[in-house]
Amino acid sequence: MAVNETNPVILERPGPAALLMTLAVYPLLVLWTVVGIALSPLYLLLAKVGAGWPAGRIVRSLIWIYGRGWMLIVSPFVRFRRENLSAEQFHTPGIFVINHLSFFDTYCMALLPVFDITFAVRSWPFRIPGYAAFMRMAEYLDVERMNVDETLAAGRRIITQGGHLLFFPEGHRSRDGQMQRFYSGAFCLARQLGCPVYPLCITGTDRLLPPGRRWLRPTQVRLRALPPVDSTSFESHGDLRRKVKADMMENLQKMRADRGE
Amino acid sequence: MTEQQIIERINTALAEEFELQPLAMTADATLFDDLGLDSLDIVDLVIVLEGAFGFKIREEEAIRQIRTLGDIHRFVIGKQSTLAKTA
Repeated sequence: MAVNETNPVILERPGPAALLMTLAVYPLLVLWTVVGIALSPLYLLLAKVGAGWPAGRIVRSLIWIYGRGWMLIVSPFVRFRRENLSAEQFHTPGIFVINHLSFFDTYCMALLPVFDITFAVRSWPFRIPGYAAFMRMAEYLDVERMNVDETLAAGRRIITQGGHLLFFPEGHRSRDGQMQRFYSGAFCLARQLGCPVYPLCITGTDRLLPPGRRWLRPTQVRLRALPPVDSTSFESHGDLRRKVKADMMENLQKMRADRGE
Repeated sequence: MTEQQIIERINTALAEEFELQPLAMTADATLFDDLGLDSLDIVDLVIVLEGAFGFKIREEEAIRQIRTLGDIHRFVIGKQSTLAKTA
């Protein structure tokens, strides 16, 4: 992509640590994925018998565990830092919104202290071989194909059952690390459901693997939870969207300043 | 509401929703190429128009034919006219 040709992150050449990381992590990730897929029927059976959860919830817990495994694999090269993440603050079912920098942002959601999270994503991830079947079993939302009423009905079911939704309101990964325009879907849904919005800020994954680059780079990933936002106290979804975006931009600037950008 | 008032309300609502520059909002501006919207925005577009004018259009086939800002103006003006006649 032309825009990537001017991105200094893309133009960098990998150093020895990055080469070592790339050569070590990708094979282990493939192995972990294959093992995970092979063991998933046993996990589904045991969780169904042991916990009695619905199938979708079991698969969402499996995906969260898969993310934890990925974190373990990259942990020699990536330091993870959780900020303000406690299970108590996410007790009320709600909608997570997070900035989007990298393919690995979704894996980093295993940093969250809750696992029952339904991702609302575009159509293309549903075409990734191996992942697509699990995304469907986890009942992830394909917001590009669903209409307004279908999304609202699905969101209501998820929140009523005690789960959470997660949106990347920018719609796609940032090419320059800066926050992009927000889509309104998450904020319309939050207002219609009367549930809280949980803003999250992530940094570091754009160094780990930005769009357009294949090799991995050691880094620190920070995931910060901002105070929950009460969607019912806003007159319009636009007001809610602007408030959440302003909070996220302010915190991302501080987080980037901390790492000297 | 006059046609000009309808157009102004549409443009104001869309500029606010999609962070558009007023100068770019000409009638012949295409939604995808000129205004930078995409398929996900069409969902938001429908919600914004429904909120701005108080009608339901999400099931209407004509929405799928919209390509330009002028198409939206004509669609909403036509819809308002139809509603006024049936009221």
